[in-house]
Amino acid sequence: MRPFAYQRATDVPSAVAAGTGQAMYLGGGTNLVDLMRLGVATPEVLVDVTRVPFDTIEETPGGGLLIGAGVRNSDLAAHPLVLRNYPMLAQAVVAGGSGQIRNMATVAGNLLQRTRCSYFQDITKPCNKRVPGSGCPAREGDHRNLAILGHSEACVATHPSDMAVPLAALGAVVNVESSGGPRAIPMPGFHRLPGDAPERDTLLRPGDLVTAVELPALPFAARSRYRKVRDRASFAFAVVSVAAALDVADGVVRDCRIALGGVAHVPWRAERAEAALRGAPATAEEFARAAEAELAQASPLPRNAFKVPLARNVLVRTLLDLTAREDLTAAGDTGETS
Amino acid sequence: MTSIQTEPRSGSRSGVGASVPRPDGTLKVTGEFAYSSDLWLDGMLWGATLRSPHPSAWIRSIDIGPALAMPGVFAVLTHEDVPGEKFYGLEHRDQPVLAVDQVRYQGEPVALVAADHPETARRAAAAIIVAYEPREAVVDPRRAAFDPSCPPVHPHGNLVRHQPVRVGDRFQAEVVVTGEYEVGMQDQAFLGPESGLAVPAEDGGVDLFIATQWLHVDQDQVAPCLGLPKEKVRLSLAGVGGAFGAREDLSMQIHASMLALRTGRPVKIVYGREESFFGHVHRHPAWMRYEHGATADGRLVYVRAEILLDGGAYCSTSRAVVGNAASLGVGPYEVDNVRIDAYGVYTNNPPCGAMRGFGAVQACYAYESQMDRLAEACGLSPVEIRIRNAVSQGSRLATGQVVDSPAPLAGMLRELAAMPLPGSTVTRRSITEPSSAKPSSAEPVPDLRSLPGGVSQTTHGEGVRRGVGYGVGIKNICFSEGFDDYSTARVRVELLGGEPHVLVHTAAAEVGQGLITVKAQIARTELGIDKVTVAPADTSVGSAGSSSASRQSYVTGGAVKAACEAVRERLDSLRAGDPELGLVELLERFGPVEETREYRHRPTFPMDPVTGQGDSHTQLALCVHRAVVDVDVELGLVKVVELAAVQDVGRILNPVALEGQIHGGTAQGLGLALMEEIQVRDGRVLNPSFTDYLIPTILDMPPMRLSILENPDPHAPYGLRGAGEPPTLSSTPAVAAAVRAATGLELPRVPIRPEDIALAAPS
Ligand SMILES: Cc1cc2nc3c(=O)[nH]c(=O)nc-3n(C[C@H](O)[C@H](O)[C@H](O)COP(=O)(O)OP(=O)(O)OC[C@H]3O[C@@H](n4cnc5c(N)ncnc54)[C@H](O)[C@@H]3O)c2cc1C
Ligand code: SF4
Repeated sequence: MRPFAYQRATDVPSAVAAGTGQAMYLGGGTNLVDLMRLGVATPEVLVDVTRVPFDTIEETPGGGLLIGAGVRNSDLAAHPLVLRNYPMLAQAVVAGGSGQIRNMATVAGNLLQRTRCSYFQDITKPCNKRVPGSGCPAREGDHRNLAILGHSEACVATHPSDMAVPLAALGAVVNVESSGGPRAIPMPGFHRLPGDAPERDTLLRPGDLVTAVELPALPFAARSRYRKVRDRASFAFAVVSVAAALDVADGVVRDCRIALGGVAHVPWRAERAEAALRGAPATAEEFARAAEAELAQASPLPRNAFKVPLARNVLVRTLLDLTAREDLTAAGDTGETS
Repeated sequence: MTSIQTEPRSGSRSGVGASVPRPDGTLKVTGEFAYSSDLWLDGMLWGATLRSPHPSAWIRSIDIGPALAMPGVFAVLTHEDVPGEKFYGLEHRDQPVLAVDQVRYQGEPVALVAADHPETARRAAAAIIVAYEPREAVVDPRRAAFDPSCPPVHPHGNLVRHQPVRVGDRFQAEVVVTGEYEVGMQDQAFLGPESGLAVPAEDGGVDLFIATQWLHVDQDQVAPCLGLPKEKVRLSLAGVGGAFGAREDLSMQIHASMLALRTGRPVKIVYGREESFFGHVHRHPAWMRYEHGATADGRLVYVRAEILLDGGAYCSTSRAVVGNAASLGVGPYEVDNVRIDAYGVYTNNPPCGAMRGFGAVQACYAYESQMDRLAEACGLSPVEIRIRNAVSQGSRLATGQVVDSPAPLAGMLRELAAMPLPGSTVTRRSITEPSSAKPSSAEPVPDLRSLPGGVSQTTHGEGVRRGVGYGVGIKNICFSEGFDDYSTARVRVELLGGEPHVLVHTAAAEVGQGLITVKAQIARTELGIDKVTVAPADTSVGSAGSSSASRQSYVTGGAVKAACEAVRERLDSLRAGDPELGLVELLERFGPVEETREYRHRPTFPMDPVTGQGDSHTQLALCVHRAVVDVDVELGLVKVVELAAVQDVGRILNPVALEGQIHGGTAQGLGLALMEEIQVRDGRVLNPSFTDYLIPTILDMPPMRLSILENPDPHAPYGLRGAGEPPTLSSTPAVAAAVRAATGLELPRVPIRPEDIALAAPS
């Protein structure tokens, strides 16, 4: 680990003032400290923002929610308004990590966690994301858990966050503060596709401080679900996941929001599937058609081709579930108790 | 049956057979147990290890200057500083204490640092400049074994052992099934990383406090490398956080001692989690080809097999692992014609060695998969085909060895099959017709935790198929193939505060299996004295052998029993003049009585190098598993609903501890079946963390149904049979078979991952 200075910020201006040069913000540290230990992240200054008072969840005048960047994942998942109005968000957060990790992890940190690509985490290997221009060994090597959608020659990594998937589906807005003033960056779009600059995960610029995530009011999201396929029953990253909210009346899909996790460099908003579904009958055939429409653009690699049918199956299942199982969208149903 | 004495002489309720609680249990649960990583001495230094980033490279130069120049650094050592022998090893001394001019695996130790702070030590290690010249890494074990043009990993070639088994000459049959199987590299995944404290002594020697499985074999290897006589290298067992074979080889023992001797200060080394993955051996990955021939009614005619085990860069215990794979390669079945070739090879992959099940695990997955194929080909049930071929007492194994104690496999299978099956957890509903109605009240809503995907709620019952599978395993207990396998116990009876007390002293490593408790139980039973103290394990008493091969209850238990018997005899002879004399008066008059005894099990014999024949094992143990799984065939998810097991342990010494062993062994087998694998590519480990190396969580492990049999082995103390390993063998093939039954897939490789299960679109 490289030596670094530690500073604790107590409010947004002092955090932004400290966050210059080779500084990095420290949230719960569950990802950043690991990466520092591995030598992947080498900040000169760590600006601890966990004492900055942006750790509340408030209703917005428009009926949405304003979630402070420092809200811990556990608190987010347990919040009554999240449970009631955006169950897929509570489910996604609870499906991530373990109780201990969620107690530490913050909303901003979760959004900004880095890929789990094993080459990215190993500083003895080339990796375009870590060292631009050094190459991408994953393409030929181990990419079983990597992207099937939207990847580039330069990088095939996936974004590992569960929480970001429902946020992308909901069209959440990320509030940012910087020395140049505040900005609001909508999701999807906050995270970027790798293109030829995979070193940049998001639109943030150095020194940008995430202060909050704003959820728009979306009444039908009260009927939403998050589903995650992983390699064991708990405490594992997503192989593929789906967040979906469905508004069905008289057997017809009036509106929907769908995003996929574990398949791309970003939480993947399934716009084609959404377009295919709006106005269509809420049937398994239509759900399958919508999934096919989305995944037609997939370009899997040899060892992750299984993710294409898997994503389709999870998506169809989730939609079916939303049409059939009212009982499961109840507020208390976040599943994980551990 | 024999006249084994099983009743406690005293009627002690804490003797053999009782669920006596373990002394470390509460401490571990409350976080108060002192593990080796908690060791502390004022003024101690911290050691750190510089490891090779390459799986194969020449070392052209090592510049320790930048590290030595750092403030707080007390010593920087390389192979040139090894005071004695430069190589060590369990079976074959082929492993350098520190790499000399070559590294053979990623993570091989190259240099050591001692500093006054662990972070300083780590930074100094990183500051050492090593000029490597990478060379071609041998990573394909098949090439290492069979391709003469493959570069040698060691000067003596790449073949560590080839063990054939040859019996009979009829290799034709009415029904023939063949298969190729693969087992991934499993890790022991113990929770307490390698750690210890070396303290320089006034006599020029060193006292080493260490978490290990066998103090004396460590001493045997450490002393020559330090250039010291054995009596100057004294080892004491520190708190062990799990072992499972991973502590059989040395890790930091010599390193910490070298640093302590060089600096004259106590030196502590603790590996981090990632370093731990490079600091111990793993289970050999295996590639196996099997051919089974049988009569139309399912009786085995012949078995042909090739078993290839990748031992990685150093020998470790590969030879013995190959021996087990060969001698137990057909499983607990009667078959007259056998042709097995088991190979262990060197490669530049991570070194592999001992892990619970030791060579028997890999073969078991393959032969059990074959038995299921055979059952299908013969139109028999999996249980029936196994019963028809099951060994029993008097059977002759492929090695010619006769099973000379109870082996009631057929009965165990019948009992297992007769156990009630768990109820369905699944609400079946059509996936093609989503209904907008709530499920009717008559329709039970499944508990989501019980479905594939568990709490991640990936599955609510659609597309879920149930499968049931069986697995049978046979494991040798104690060391085999002519090894002089013994243990030593010192037992002392004395008066403390006017009351008789027993002190039991052995060097046997308590690694979490509960041996301390069992030793005390045996002393209570044999001596009829309730107050028993078990002294800490160290090298001031004779060797106890390894806490492995499921052998300590047998061998150290046997030694404690023998020493107690000797004490009893002494007491009897002292009492001879005055039969009325009570124990207290006796001890008052004659003082403490102490006896030390070595205990050996019956000798074993090497396998013939050409035919594999020989009585290579002293005891064999059986376990059978039935797995019930629900598989979500569309999402590739497996939920193990129940694991039932029948195991014959000869004699139960401590029911709670025994059940713990069976649960734990079963869980490790489940892990191998469904998720545990060290992923190695081009000789490099891709997942050296518990974030990426997945072990079963409590949510992955189902409830178990156990039936424990007690058919005593007349040759063993109390008739007991080692119990720790057998369940690890049979649970893997049982789970795999159940997934096959649910999916109809071949699944020739474990661990089975979601992508291995058909991902057909919902129709
Ligand atoms: C064992 C393990 C298992 C896990 N499993 C899962 C899983 O299944 N699903 C899942 O989604 N996640 C999982 N995670 C990841 C976990 O969710 C993230 O590590 C966590 O959310 C990061 O939050 P943090 O507050 O700890 O971030 P930190 O580690 O503190 O920071 C992460 C990044 O965010 C930046 N940052 C933090 N706060 C701000 C801010 N206010 N403004 C700008 N930048 C900021 C930091 O500089 C850093 O770059 C797992 C992690 C571990 C260790
Ligand atoms: S996929 Fe991206 S993160 Fe992984 S090695 Fe390639 S460039 Fe690096």
